[in-house]
Amino acid sequence: MSEQGSWLHVQASGMDLALSTRDLREVVAMEAVSPLPGRPQGIQGVVIFQGEFLPVLAWKDLPGFPDLAGSPTAMAVLRPRLAIPIDRMMGMVEASDPLLRATDEDDPVSSWSSGLLLLGSQELRVLDPVRLIALLRRFRGDR
Amino acid sequence: MQARQILASLKDPQPAHQVQASVNALFRTTHTLKGMAGMLGFPSFSKAAHRMEDIFDLMRKGRLRSTDSLVETLEAGILALESGMAGLRRGNSEPEDYLQPLRRQLGELEAMARPAEGGAQDLTAMLDLPPDVMKALSEYEHTRVTSLLMSGMPIHGVRICLDFATFDERLRVYSETLGAFGELISTLPWDAPEDREGLAFLLMIACPELDAGRLPVLEGELLGTALLADPTRVPASLRGEQPVQVAEAPPPEPAPPPPASSAPQPQEVEILRLPAHRVEALESRLMAVGQLRDSASLLLNRTRLVNDDDRPMALLGQMEDGLLDVQKSLLQMRMVKVESLFSRIEPMVKGLSRDTGKPVKLAFQGGDLELERGILGRLTEPFLHLVRNAVDHGLEPPSERAALGKNEAGSLRISASQRGRNLRFDIRDDGRGFNLERIEARGIELGLLMAGESHTPERLHRLTLAPGFSTTDQATQLSGRGVGMDVVRAEIEALGGEVHLSSELRRGSLIRLTFPLSRAVVGCLKVRGAGQSFGIPLTSVIRVQAGRHVCRGGDQVQVLGRSLPLESLQACLGLPEPDGQKAFVVLGHQGASTRSVEVALGVDEIVGRGEVLLRSLPELAHTSGIMGGSVQEEGILWVLDPDAMLGLAMDSLMRRVARV
Repeated sequence: MSEQGSWLHVQASGMDLALSTRDLREVVAMEAVSPLPGRPQGIQGVVIFQGEFLPVLAWKDLPGFPDLAGSPTAMAVLRPRLAIPIDRMMGMVEASDPLLRATDEDDPVSSWSSGLLLLGSQELRVLDPVRLIALLRRFRGDR
Repeated sequence: MQARQILASLKDPQPAHQVQASVNALFRTTHTLKGMAGMLGFPSFSKAAHRMEDIFDLMRKGRLRSTDSLVETLEAGILALESGMAGLRRGNSEPEDYLQPLRRQLGELEAMARPAEGGAQDLTAMLDLPPDVMKALSEYEHTRVTSLLMSGMPIHGVRICLDFATFDERLRVYSETLGAFGELISTLPWDAPEDREGLAFLLMIACPELDAGRLPVLEGELLGTALLADPTRVPASLRGEQPVQVAEAPPPEPAPPPPASSAPQPQEVEILRLPAHRVEALESRLMAVGQLRDSASLLLNRTRLVNDDDRPMALLGQMEDGLLDVQKSLLQMRMVKVESLFSRIEPMVKGLSRDTGKPVKLAFQGGDLELERGILGRLTEPFLHLVRNAVDHGLEPPSERAALGKNEAGSLRISASQRGRNLRFDIRDDGRGFNLERIEARGIELGLLMAGESHTPERLHRLTLAPGFSTTDQATQLSGRGVGMDVVRAEIEALGGEVHLSSELRRGSLIRLTFPLSRAVVGCLKVRGAGQSFGIPLTSVIRVQAGRHVCRGGDQVQVLGRSLPLESLQACLGLPEPDGQKAFVVLGHQGASTRSVEVALGVDEIVGRGEVLLRSLPELAHTSGIMGGSVQEEGILWVLDPDAMLGLAMDSLMRRVARV
C-alpha cells in the first residue's frame, strides 16, 4: 500500500500521528475548550473558530488510544470542521512513495485510523477523518 | 501636518490615479486618528476625525469630486484638528465640536454627496473573476471598477505567487511598480497553484496597457496577467458618465448584460440588499476591528518598553470591550426581522386577490422574531409560492364561500414562532382544503400509489410534495403546473428543516415549515447550574420561583395552587446532582392549554434575563437539551431547548419512580 503525499507529524496524548495535509483546514494555537454539559462521547467541548462553534475531539474516548492526559498546545482543524488537540508538532513528512501498512480491521484503532506510515524505524499512526467522523456519529447513535 | 501636505498637493493637476492614492492616504490617516482618539478617551476629537474620514470616504468612492473649494474646506478641517490636538497636549479640555466653524460647509458637502434613490450603476459583473472573489469585493472596489470602466479605462489582473519568507516585501515592490502604471484598485488573496507553496495574490490595476515585461519578477515567482474587464464592452450610453454625480445623478438604467464568456453565473452570486445605514455600520465596524488589532500591536510594544506603566493594560481592557461590542454588532447585523418577509407577502396577496377576484383577510403573527438574513433570503421564494398556491387553489371564490356559509373574504393567517431550536412558520387558510380523493387518484394514475391499498391522509398530503405532482389539469397563470412544491420541500430540507401539510375538506389547510435556527437573538432567562451558565428561552418560562425551601429532583412543588413535579437541571443533562436547590423555573408553553406538560426545573441560581445571540451547535456536538450557545463575557452560556428539556425531565422523573 503506497500513497504519495505530505503529512503533518504530531504527538497527541502519547501517540505519534500522521495527519494528511489534504484533510487539514489549518493548525491554530490551542484555546480554552468550553466543556459541553452532557457532552456526546468523543467530543470534549467546543471552541469558537471563525465565529462558529467548533467541536474538539476527546482523544481518550477513542478506541485503542492510550488513556494519557495530554497537554495540547495547538489544534489541527480538519476539513469536516473538527478540532484535533495536538501536544507537539514534530514536522512535515513529505514522501513520494511512502510505505503505509493497513490496520487490521479487527484492531479497535481501525475505527479512526487507516494504518501506519512507516518512516525508517519510525511508525506514525495515520488518522483517517472519514473513519473518525463515522465513529463519532456511531457514538451518538449508541446513546 | 502630513495630511495638510497631501491635501495641498490635490490643488495641483495630477493624474487621476495619483489623486485617488492621495485621497486614500487621507482617509487612512483620519481613520487612524479617530481610532486613537477614541481609545485615549477624547470622544469629541474622535467624532471630528470621524466626520473628516467620512468626507474622504465619499471622495475615494467617487461620490465627491476633488475641487479647490472642497480641498480648502478639508484643509480648514485638518487645521482645526491639528489645533485641537495641540490644545489637548497642553491639557485643555475638549470643545464640544472641533469643526464648529466649518459645520455649514461640511454639511453642504455631505448633502451633495448623498446618493440618489435607486443607487448607482455597478459594472463589477464585467470582471472576469470567480464568483467567490466577486462576492468578496468591497463597496469601494465596486465603485472604483465601475467608475474606471465608465471612463474607458481597462482593468487588468496580475496574479503572483510569492515565497512565504519574503512575500510582504515582494508584494510591496509589485504594488509600487504597478502603482506607477496606473491605479492599483486592490490586492486580493488568490489560490496558489496546487503544485506550489507560497502565497498568491491578484492585483487589480486600471491602466491603458499592462506591459508584463516591466514587472520585477524574480526567479521562482509565478506571474500571470489577464484583462479582467474591457471598457469597450460598456454600453455607449454609460461611457463617460461618472456613476455617482450625486446632486445630478442620472436616472437609473438597467445594468448592461455582462459578457457571456466572462461573467460569473448569476445564480452563483448572492445579492443582499442592505439598508444604507446597516452597510455603513458594517463597514465602520469592520474598520474598527482592523484599528483595534493595530492598536493591540502598538500597546504590546509599549508594554515591552515601559514595564511600570499600567495604562496599556487599562487600554487593553477597553479594547477587549470594544472587540466584544464589534463582534456582537457584526452578528446582530446578520439578523433580520421576520416582518421583512411578511412585508413582501402583503402586496403580493393584494395583487393576487385583485387578479383572482377573491377577497382575502390576511393576518400575520410573530414578525418580531429574528433570523439570519441568509436563511430569510432562501425562504422568500418558497414562501411566496406557498402563499400563491393558498390563494389560487386553497381559497374558494366568494360565491362558493357564500354558498358554504363561509365569510366571502377568505382568511389567510401566517405566523412565525420559535419552538426550541426550531423556527416554525404556519400558513393557514380557511379554504377548501386538499382534495385527498383527487390526490389519491392522481397518485395511482402516475404510478406513485398502488390501487386498492389504503393510503393515510398524511401520505396523501406528502404526495403533493413529489416532483411534478399536480392534480390540476389546466395550469393557471399563478400556479398548478406541478412545479414548485417539490422545490419548496427541497429548499426547506436543504436548511435542515421539513414541510408538514394537513387539511380538512372545506375547512382549510395548514402548511407548516420547520427548520433549525443557526443563529437567532433569543430572549432568555439566565440561570446557573453545575457551575455553568444556561439560558432558558423566555417563551417557555411560565414562572420563576426562588425561596428558602430546598428542593430536590423528584419533589413536588406548589405553584399557584398546583402541584408540579420538579427535576434538577443537572439530572436532566446527566451532570452530577446538587444536594438541593432553592430556585426553580416552571417550563411549559406560554399560552398553551392547562393540559400541556409543565415541569419545575431546579436551578442553582437565577441570574436575570437578557437577549443573547444564539449560535447553534455543529452536528458532531449536538447534545440533548442544548439548543446552542452564546458567547458571553463570562464564558459560553448554553441555551436550553425547552421541548427537549421537558422530555429529559420527564424521562429522569420516570427513572426515579422506577428506582423506588
